[in-house]
Amino acid sequence: MSSNIYKNKKPLFFFLIPAFLFMLIFLYYPFIQNIFNSFQEIRGLGTAPMGWKDPWYSNFKTMWEDENMRIALKNTLIMILVTIVGQVGIALFLAILVDNVKHGSKFFRVVFFFPIVVSATALGLLFNLIFLYDKGMINQLLEVLGSKSLTDWKDETHAFMTMMIPVTWQYVGFYFIILVTGLNNISDELYEAAAIDGATTLQKVRFITIPLVHNVICTCVILAVTGALKVFDLPWVMFPKGMPFGQTWLTGTYMYYQVFNATDVDYSSAIAVLIVVLGIVLSKVVNKIFKEKDY
Amino acid sequence: MKKKTLALVLTLAMAGSLAACGSNGGDATSNNDKSTSSNTSKSTSEEKDDKKSGGVSLNVTTTFGGNDTNQKNYQDAIAAWQDETSNIVNDSSATSDETFKARVAADFEVGSEPDVLFYFNGMDSNSFVEAGKVISVDEIRKEYPDYASNMNDDLLGASPVDGKNYSVPVNGYWEGMFVNKAVLEAAKVEIPDANTTWDEFMDICQKIKDAGYTPVAASLAQIPHYWFEFTIYNQLSPTTHNVLPKSVDDEHGKAWVAGIEDIKDMYDKGFFPENTLSGTDDETFQSFIDGKAAFLVDGSWKLGGIEEATDDIDNFTVTYVPAKGERKSTDIIGGLSSGYYITKKAWDDPEKREAAVNFVEYMTSNEMVTKFAQTSATALKDGADVDESTLSSLGKDGLAMIKGITGISGAVQDQIPTECRVPVFDGMPNLVTGKVQIPDAVTEVLTMIENYTPSEAAE
Repeated sequence: MSSNIYKNKKPLFFFLIPAFLFMLIFLYYPFIQNIFNSFQEIRGLGTAPMGWKDPWYSNFKTMWEDENMRIALKNTLIMILVTIVGQVGIALFLAILVDNVKHGSKFFRVVFFFPIVVSATALGLLFNLIFLYDKGMINQLLEVLGSKSLTDWKDETHAFMTMMIPVTWQYVGFYFIILVTGLNNISDELYEAAAIDGATTLQKVRFITIPLVHNVICTCVILAVTGALKVFDLPWVMFPKGMPFGQTWLTGTYMYYQVFNATDVDYSSAIAVLIVVLGIVLSKVVNKIFKEKDY
Repeated sequence: MKKKTLALVLTLAMAGSLAACGSNGGDATSNNDKSTSSNTSKSTSEEKDDKKSGGVSLNVTTTFGGNDTNQKNYQDAIAAWQDETSNIVNDSSATSDETFKARVAADFEVGSEPDVLFYFNGMDSNSFVEAGKVISVDEIRKEYPDYASNMNDDLLGASPVDGKNYSVPVNGYWEGMFVNKAVLEAAKVEIPDANTTWDEFMDICQKIKDAGYTPVAASLAQIPHYWFEFTIYNQLSPTTHNVLPKSVDDEHGKAWVAGIEDIKDMYDKGFFPENTLSGTDDETFQSFIDGKAAFLVDGSWKLGGIEEATDDIDNFTVTYVPAKGERKSTDIIGGLSSGYYITKKAWDDPEKREAAVNFVEYMTSNEMVTKFAQTSATALKDGADVDESTLSSLGKDGLAMIKGITGISGAVQDQIPTECRVPVFDGMPNLVTGKVQIPDAVTEVLTMIENYTPSEAAE
């Protein structure tokens, strides 16, 4: 009788069903509806579909030919690379440094994590002031250093870099905290043993730290890749409507633009489908590359 | 067995706690409705509250939100109406932008529309007028003969759907050219007036540029709308401006191309800010306020924004946008583009019908319209009796400008569905830099309009 109690898993379902229903209603149903919407003619947000597109796949054909969509995809892929290197890479570097600090590690954790608690919109406005053309912080500094002309940090030449810097900076703290937690789980005995064997600090990092946080890094990279596909708020505040010349479109901002500015709801639904497909495919690819390992 | 019972009890407890959360949420919504803004349907607890107070709860949404000049007037007015009638207004007003329009459209679509709304009477209202979700002024007058009797029916703003009046307007709008006088003084040029021609205006702009200032504050990347309107108006006249081209080669199509070419010409001459293709409207507006740019073409709603942004309102004035061709400088863009609607949902509710009619009558009384309209046009039969002593110098200049107009036309862009505007509005940087040919962009707009409304295009 007593062993049956542990075999019977039915009660667990009672607890899983509410969360499952919540997900079903508020995530999976809208998602499936969105797939249908991408094949239909919809005139405005909240309005009922007027019927199927002719041909039904025309939104995806348009997407294939859409120059802005090409830019958005290219930018998003660059964003993914920058995110992996800039966010996870820098976070790992900082985490290792902080992990090796004997005093003040809590202080650095708070300092590096702080940008996460500030809303992306506020950060966007903050960086708008920093990069402002007329008397922005950077241009004022350059003026003090002797620059005679103002630099437009949002023009075609600089816009993409201007967008990448705050986006990268914003999430370093997030991955930093995850990685620091991973580093804390590594036993000090391993480092002590390595020290007795004469390992240098770099060797300890290369042969103990990195392999033992490999799975945490893998999780961070998957989060970074899927996060980069959805990034929206900060770029939109700084570069609304893909300004300038549509050079700063990302898949997230272009989808939003199509809904709320161009009111092309069905086309934006098609973009949303592409974002989800890309998210699934890319996380699979990342999983393949950074296979989780058991040590 | 005990485990199963425990599991069942826990599940019920969890379900119960969720239900409790739901009911708490309802109360919270009810409280929020009174203090802030929400147009969600009424909760049971809220209805009970209403019965206690003996008043009716009206869900109202308007464009008098955000930085609108009349935001405070509106809030004062609903507070006064609530005091007078002991009714309650659940206000969900917001800034008039595409997000607001999308919300209103979605509310009507899912049946959670407000009882009363102050909204556009042009193409933007077509969907809910076609669906019969708002009540016409004539139908309301069958039961309330004095409804909007202080208004001139011809000016109410008939719906493009069936030519009937559905909304009662409050304040109209005009578009004009705001001037930073200090910049013009520094550049030693005169303020353009009713007699200034386009060529003279170009000379003035050149002199301002030579003096080291930006002649025109505008973000072509974000808000090229006003210059689009006036440069096309310059190719036409008040009677012909507000007509959509059938093709790029007809009179109006050519006017559109020539108008945008004038914007390109101004861009090539360097009359816009250096970052006009990458800066935002807020940035260029600030450069105007800070005395770095001389002219700003915008609407009457900008008066309040300028008054708030500057400590020296006397440094600013407003004048006519210089003209060429058939159009005189004194022919302006303007009209009564919004009004109060009563929805069918409110009309069919015996309790709300009376309150909704009373609310609209209160908000469109002569006194209230005068307060809201200030320097802009109204549909009042007796006209607005504006107390000029309450106006700033800029407001007085606006009033003087309106008194001198010789012709008025609605904005032609209001006839273009939002998604069809993209090639010329969002695409303006490509047009002024020559990356896209202007006739191609105009053709694209017209093709999109044709595909958007095939029946109208065929007419």
